[in-house]
Amino acid sequence: MLKLHNLSKVYRTDEVETAALNSVNIEIESGEFVAIMGPSGCGKSTLLNIVGMLDTPSSGDYVFMGENVARYSEAKLSNIRKQNIGFIFQSFNLIDELSVEENIELALLYHNIPASERRARVERVMDKVGIAHRAKHMPSQLSGGQQQRVAVARAVVGDQAMILADEPTGNLDSAHGQEVMEMLQALNEEGTTIVMVTHSPAHADYARRTINLFDGHVVTENLRAAV
Amino acid sequence: MFQNYINVALRNLFKHKLYSAINIIGLAVGLAACIMIMLFVRDELSYDKHWSNADSIYRLNTTFSPPGREPFVTVMAQGPTKAALKNYFPEEVGAVTRFNGMRVIMQKNNDIFSESLMWTDPETVDIFDFDVVAGDLRQTLNDNASLAINETFARKYFGDADPIGETVTLSVWSLKRDYRIGAVYKDLPHNTVLEFQGMAMIDETDFADQGWEFAEWFSVNNYVYFTLKDGASIETINSRLNAFADQHIQVPASVEGGKASDYVAYSTQPITRIQLDPAGARDGEMKPTGNMTTVLTFSAIAGLILLIACINFMNLATAKSTQRAREVALRKVLGAKRRQLVIQFLGESVLVALIGLVFGVVLVETLLPAFNDFVDKQLVFNYLDGMTLGILFGLIVIVGMLGGVYPALILSGFRPASVLKANKSAESSGSARLRSVLVVMQFAISIALIVSTGVVYGQKIYATNMDPGFNKDNLLVVRNTGRSGAVDKREAFKEQVKRLPGVTSAAFSSDSPSSGNESNSMVVIPEEEGERSELIGVYRVDYEFFDTYQIDFLAGRPYSRAHALDVMPNGFTAEEGALLQGNLIVNEAALRRFGFASPQSAIGRVVKSSVGNGRSAEFTIVGVVRDIKFQSLREKMRPEMYQLAEFGFSNLNVRFDGTATEIVSQIESIWKSMISTVPFGYDYVDEVMAREFRAEENQSILLAIFAGLAVVIACLGLYGLASFTAERRTKEIGIRKVMGATVFDIVRLLLWQFSKPVLLANLVAWPVAAYGMLSWLEGFPYRIDNWVLVPLCLLAGGIALAIAWATVGGNAARVARSNPIDALRYE
Ligand SMILES: Nc1ncnc2c1ncn2[C@@H]1O[C@H](COP(=O)(O)OP(=O)(O)O)[C@@H](O)[C@H]1O
Ligand SMILES: [Mg+2]
Repeated sequence: MLKLHNLSKVYRTDEVETAALNSVNIEIESGEFVAIMGPSGCGKSTLLNIVGMLDTPSSGDYVFMGENVARYSEAKLSNIRKQNIGFIFQSFNLIDELSVEENIELALLYHNIPASERRARVERVMDKVGIAHRAKHMPSQLSGGQQQRVAVARAVVGDQAMILADEPTGNLDSAHGQEVMEMLQALNEEGTTIVMVTHSPAHADYARRTINLFDGHVVTENLRAAV
Repeated sequence: MFQNYINVALRNLFKHKLYSAINIIGLAVGLAACIMIMLFVRDELSYDKHWSNADSIYRLNTTFSPPGREPFVTVMAQGPTKAALKNYFPEEVGAVTRFNGMRVIMQKNNDIFSESLMWTDPETVDIFDFDVVAGDLRQTLNDNASLAINETFARKYFGDADPIGETVTLSVWSLKRDYRIGAVYKDLPHNTVLEFQGMAMIDETDFADQGWEFAEWFSVNNYVYFTLKDGASIETINSRLNAFADQHIQVPASVEGGKASDYVAYSTQPITRIQLDPAGARDGEMKPTGNMTTVLTFSAIAGLILLIACINFMNLATAKSTQRAREVALRKVLGAKRRQLVIQFLGESVLVALIGLVFGVVLVETLLPAFNDFVDKQLVFNYLDGMTLGILFGLIVIVGMLGGVYPALILSGFRPASVLKANKSAESSGSARLRSVLVVMQFAISIALIVSTGVVYGQKIYATNMDPGFNKDNLLVVRNTGRSGAVDKREAFKEQVKRLPGVTSAAFSSDSPSSGNESNSMVVIPEEEGERSELIGVYRVDYEFFDTYQIDFLAGRPYSRAHALDVMPNGFTAEEGALLQGNLIVNEAALRRFGFASPQSAIGRVVKSSVGNGRSAEFTIVGVVRDIKFQSLREKMRPEMYQLAEFGFSNLNVRFDGTATEIVSQIESIWKSMISTVPFGYDYVDEVMAREFRAEENQSILLAIFAGLAVVIACLGLYGLASFTAERRTKEIGIRKVMGATVFDIVRLLLWQFSKPVLLANLVAWPVAAYGMLSWLEGFPYRIDNWVLVPLCLLAGGIALAIAWATVGGNAARVARSNPIDALRYE
């Protein structure tokens, strides 16, 4: 599915240079479930942003589905991204002014999909994550777990091949965290590639492979033995 | 405590530089506009209040209601009313005086000048107080060979020398006399409706041959002012004015039945009300007067500009109030009461208003000279004047309150617990809605002002470019050809002018376009049974008149030397008892009034009209011309006839095709070589006609300035709101971008947010502006088509939208281009 080769990211701010990623080489197959772990500030989010094409690498190559996208323009990246990649954030990042269904629909809004079909797909995915009875609610009226379910629904409503989740359980209690993990697992079993950043070893266990980052380097890659 | 408030207030001002700048600039401009309009209004209201007996001075106005025509009010009355008023109202009327302005030829040593002087009665000194700087005014006005002049006139002709005792020779009509300068008075203040540079005593015997000036009841040529006796009521006079008219004025012989007061009505007007009288006549004052509608309109507009600035103030304050929620919460936790907080925030807004005022005053000081030029006044901004201080103080309090009350109530109402816990405050949807309503209001005002500017300017353009029915270009009028000293030589003069290479034709006439003169004559039309009389406007013209003005004939022919009967018979020289006959050219409106079906059918019809000396003649209609707007573009078309008679030929109309200035100087040298005792004077016809619409031109300029200010201030506010919104919506925009929204999608989203209020504003502004401007247009007999409002409204809406987009577009693009992860990383 994707391949990072010698990929580095350097942030320059007022004379301070931070090397967030340093010659990273990672390959992720289609249909994989990968967890990324590591201490705070080691570059996990940076890695996920680059993989999600929200940011571009300073050097190195990023081959996504056979295309080297490392030097693509923002518009081009945006186009590839909206076709293929869904996002789940730690802080949910729902739009407060939009209802649950409108938030989910947002992921289809920029896809040239007719309204009736958007409607149908939103309904379907709401059923899937069990949030249909809250369709008209506003995010502020939902619990954290419910909000994250909306976010999951939004990430998959466009039939994205890959979901990137940055600490999706970080703001949730363990019961709700578990719920979200099970949803991700179910999605993975249906064939969606999932890349997830987490601090919880228990949640990392849902993944088949764990990549440990430290100070911008990949230190270990553990493949979980098939259970 | 207080120190703390001030510190917080000032720090807030500095911290939010953009908001502060927008508020202060907006308020400064709004306040400056209000201050200048206030100075203007106070000046307009001060007219003629300075006379020591201002409250008892009245003027006699005359209203004519000729049958079949709109009544017209004149600000003058007949000469004999002076004595008649005193006799008829002995208990009520104190002193009466007349002012009759005349253009005289003034000879000083061997130089001749043309000047306007006022002939007046000795009672003038009893009614008005003049500041006499030299000589004796009372004595001067009691002597028919003395002249009182003002300081400017004295300086112009006598420099620094003492003018008292000097003599000048004045000639007007058949009067020619040496006048001794008997008094010099200070120039009249600008805020009086009186204006003249010199006064001479009315000696009616000097004008015995010009009965219409002072002696006759059929002509109104005098401003008649009188004082009301102590204890008398003006109502007593008003209620008996009809009886007064009936006693003194004879009903015209041609009108059967009725009373004089049906045709001629008098009214009194306090001198203090003349300047701004909304119902009075427009013309005929000694100098142009003001207009209550203008005063009210521009006061309202200045108020609206300030309102727009206050709305910015209010909107930005509520918008950023969320950012101050923590401060409020902490103050509350520390024990501040709601009232204290309200006072604190109100204090802050008053402080901002005060700073705005300081800049506003600077603006006034800078712009006042230009404004003075524009309104032709010498307004001074005197801070220490109690009234001014009071008004300024009031403005600050009002502005401070308007801008501060709502935010103060919102802010002080925050619940500290929720604010501190959530570490932010969700803004209530109510205040966001109010903000939108206020933005709608701002743009509605701006759009309405743009539409009004367009209509006023359009009407001005329309009126000045309207086809008057004759060719007004390349046409000039040489004046004074009716003066003694010029009369005998005018035919020879005309012949020489015609021979100039650049001159194509020349014609004499009694009047020239837009002169404001009104001369009417009764015409009797025979009918199947009996006859009918109509009052018709009269011009006296010569053979070349229609040719020179290039007037189209609908039927018949112009006057020609080949037809002896074309010349109007003269009642004074005609044989006793002879049947008098002549030919006549009339316009289309006259034809309709006579009841003739078509121009063709009118040719050959016979009507009767007086030809002087009490005699009348039969006129055969030989020509019908289209309605030419000769009298004034502001008046309805009137029925008119053009008589071929050498009477009152005071204008030589010259059609030319060369360079205007060259031709004028050639004509001038011919004049000077032939006529030495009358000064040369001329006008271009198109310029005279354009001058009629100078008021509209000025109004449209002023409106354009105000509309511009309104738009700029409203957009400043919009800019502030846009940057606030962008700040507030960064997270949302980030999410949308992650979901695949392009820069264009985001820009469109943000533009739409600000287009909505502007589009709504159109719906509010259009009907209001259309209603206002349609009723304004009703004052013009010739006006632009009502449908012009449609494109104008659309255009104004488009302009407002474009400006709004330009204002928020840059900001929106910047926000849309920013990287979404910056917005989403931190919470
Ligand atoms: N936009 C940025 N500008 C400057 N430095 C950044 C930026 N984003 C991340 N960093 C720095 O890069 C390093 C990696 O950050 P991040 O990827 O967010 O870490 P993690 O998600 O693993 O906690 C950190 O040192 C962080 O301070
Ligand atoms: Mg992170």
